[in-house]
Amino acid sequence: MEKKKITIALAGNPNVGKTTLFNAITGARQHVGNWPGVTVEKKTGKRTYKDTEIEVVDLPGTYSLTAYSIDEVVARDYVVEEKPDVVVQIVDATNLERNLYLTTQLMELGSRVVIALNMWDLAESRGDEIDTRKMEDFLEIPVVKTVANRAEGIDALLEEVVREADKGEHHEHEVSYGDDIEKKIIELEKIVGKDSALSGKYPVRWLSVKLLDGDENILEKIEGSSVATQVNSVLSTIKKEDYEAAMAEKRYETINTVLPQVCVKCIKGVTFSDMIDRAVTNKYLGIPIFLAMMWAAFEVTFTVATPLMEFVDMFFGWLAGVVAGSITNPVLGSLLGDGIVAGVGAVMIFLPNILLLFLMISLLEDSGYMARAAFVMDKLMYKIGLNGRSFIPLLMGFGCNVPAIMATRTIEDEKDRLVTILVNPFISCGARLPVYLMLAGAFFGRQAGSVIFGIYILGIIVAILSAKLIRGTVLKGKPSPFIMELPPYRLPTLKASAIHMWEKGSIYLKKAGTIILAGVVFVWLLSAIPAPGVDAAFASEEILGTEDSLIGVLGHIIEPLVAPLGFDWKVAVALVFGFIAKEIVIGSMGVLYGTGEDEDALAEILTAGAMNPLTALGLMVFTLLYVPCIACVGVVKKETGSWKWTLFMVAYGTTLAWIAAFLIYRIGTAIGWGL
Amino acid sequence: MANTNKMIFAMVVGILYVVFGILKMLEGFGIETGLAESLLIPGDFFGGFCFVVIGAVFLYAVKELSAGVHMGVSYVYVGILMSLVFMAVYLLVMGADLLMFYAVKSEDYEGWRIIDSMRPGIYLGLLSLIGYFYWKDRFTTEMTKV
Ligand SMILES: Nc1nc2c(ncn2[C@@H]2O[C@H](COP(=O)(O)OP(=O)(O)O)[C@@H](O)[C@H]2O)c(=O)[nH]1
Repeated sequence: MEKKKITIALAGNPNVGKTTLFNAITGARQHVGNWPGVTVEKKTGKRTYKDTEIEVVDLPGTYSLTAYSIDEVVARDYVVEEKPDVVVQIVDATNLERNLYLTTQLMELGSRVVIALNMWDLAESRGDEIDTRKMEDFLEIPVVKTVANRAEGIDALLEEVVREADKGEHHEHEVSYGDDIEKKIIELEKIVGKDSALSGKYPVRWLSVKLLDGDENILEKIEGSSVATQVNSVLSTIKKEDYEAAMAEKRYETINTVLPQVCVKCIKGVTFSDMIDRAVTNKYLGIPIFLAMMWAAFEVTFTVATPLMEFVDMFFGWLAGVVAGSITNPVLGSLLGDGIVAGVGAVMIFLPNILLLFLMISLLEDSGYMARAAFVMDKLMYKIGLNGRSFIPLLMGFGCNVPAIMATRTIEDEKDRLVTILVNPFISCGARLPVYLMLAGAFFGRQAGSVIFGIYILGIIVAILSAKLIRGTVLKGKPSPFIMELPPYRLPTLKASAIHMWEKGSIYLKKAGTIILAGVVFVWLLSAIPAPGVDAAFASEEILGTEDSLIGVLGHIIEPLVAPLGFDWKVAVALVFGFIAKEIVIGSMGVLYGTGEDEDALAEILTAGAMNPLTALGLMVFTLLYVPCIACVGVVKKETGSWKWTLFMVAYGTTLAWIAAFLIYRIGTAIGWGL
Repeated sequence: MANTNKMIFAMVVGILYVVFGILKMLEGFGIETGLAESLLIPGDFFGGFCFVVIGAVFLYAVKELSAGVHMGVSYVYVGILMSLVFMAVYLLVMGADLLMFYAVKSEDYEGWRIIDSMRPGIYLGLLSLIGYFYWKDRFTTEMTKV
């Protein structure tokens, strides 16, 4: 049988036992020469392990891969340019903090790394208790314990090396440099990515990081390229020394967050932050804890908002009364009362929900917990073919999909980004909440909260399955590395979170005053114009929102499309107008059923026979999945730059919605549930 | 052993949360446990799940501490923090009920008494509150030596 051939490089800080390990691996089969062009000694050796022939290259010992010394340049150029199959980093187990700095840089290079945790005997006799499993989790790098001078762990190391070289794809974790620097990195990535000679040879993120780091060697490489002027104009906007220091600090910050989780005794003191991290990043408890925190946030959003909603309701009730009492012109009165106050009121009533939801998300973000949640979710995200970075945009989708889709700009890999954009609308935004609240409240009583939570979960599941489906078919490929952001925990202040809440929540208010207002006026207009052949005055009582109005005609045209789902023509019309903004589904139902802004009256009509629990559930699911609002479709077009993908998303979602609602209605009816 | 207190505390609170969580989930499924009335347990599947998670965090502390892992106290603290978060949530819900009764005077709230909003999340949370004040210095200062 033909032997497989792989090349591995040994990297490590000076004095970690690299030479000893090199000898232990290669034995006598060594060759000593010089690295080309420099007087640095180059040692290579060979070793056959099972059916793999391994060429081992000993790199000069370095503390980092910044181009400070000739050794570092040699080591780095080899890893970057020769691209060995696997880089084995020898880490001194008794000096983790210092050694992991090099690890963070190797991770950035995108190389496949295996860590040989050498001097394990010394660490053990000191009683360090290093948790290698946790180390693997945090770094996404296999870790093998070795004692080089007794040749222990060599086979296990080679086993892991061969496995890593064979692996089809590998997932990386990388250090996050914080919002400001990350913005610059992305800016540079976009520029550097345009030069195919550069981006074909080097990892684009790494180049950008090194440029900000002020790396002379990389600057030289850029000088001769087609993007030199653009890069320089970005670099001229920053102070290099500040960046270099800030970035080194961030690397240490990440190491110092990871280290206490890996080895308690390796550090001087455990902070409370470290203790929280131990629990919330636990392998088994991490995701359940995250779910519980989300549930708490939702519980506050839904139940605490109830009295506040009553107040808003009272206000609009009063306003409707004022309008009715003071305006004598019937058409104007109807426009204001049945159209604007009814429609906008039906939407505004959910302002407390929206604000509380944003407040909860802000609290979780400001406390530092959300960053851990992203970390905990990374493994899962990777499994479904998404990047850990996709998590934050997906989470933001719970507020509004429009800013969430814009937030995907932080994902540099185009395919990752496209998948994240395409599945984002399935994450149920705040605008769909009014529909659930109204229907679940009317039909599911005390179980409403759980039903709504279930709808949200359904949205997440559909998003996950769709991502997997899209990844497996039209957008094949592996997700890009996860950027670990682990800021220290802070007790969030109500003030800061309230400000963040307002920043996001005011968008909702603005929307209510503009697009939703226009939408409901349009619905009112259509419902006020008499149908052809009907002899009635414009906006007269007897035709408003009935089959004798234009909207009734329209409704009957589209009714057959949704009739199999158990929806009547009014629901059909409401869904069509939901395209303007999903809140309008409820607003226009208010207009069409003639109940105005009075939620309770609408609920009464619906429960009295217009709908049943099955069609209500079907409508909720349909609203969740079908075509997102016009603003969202617009932003998808803008961000993907493609009508093809935009139409794909619209068609895919709507088809799914139809099938899901159909199944709920048919199966539910067949087993006689909820009737 | 210095951690015995914490271990016993975590064991008791952990078991309570898990049991109450399971009862909540059962009631949420519509299975009558007969305990709902006297213990003020609402039927709530997901809420029950959250209780089980909190309980599991406490019990994980017991697992680590009994194995001699000092860092196991992390789970006690996180368990306490989580149960306090949930206590706050249920207190907010109670506040909302109060508003519904006094300010909104909603029909649904006729004959409402404060006890109707009393939830296990609140009275179990009291245990954590005691734990919080008992080990308060740990929460406010950084730990220097383990
Ligand atoms: N106790 C112990 N000593 C080791 C181990 N590996 C290497 N050494 C010793 O550490 C010293 C430095 O090793 P060397 O291979 O020269 O380090 P290099 O500078 O990284 O090449 C030597 O005296 C080795 O015998 C180990 O796993 N355990």
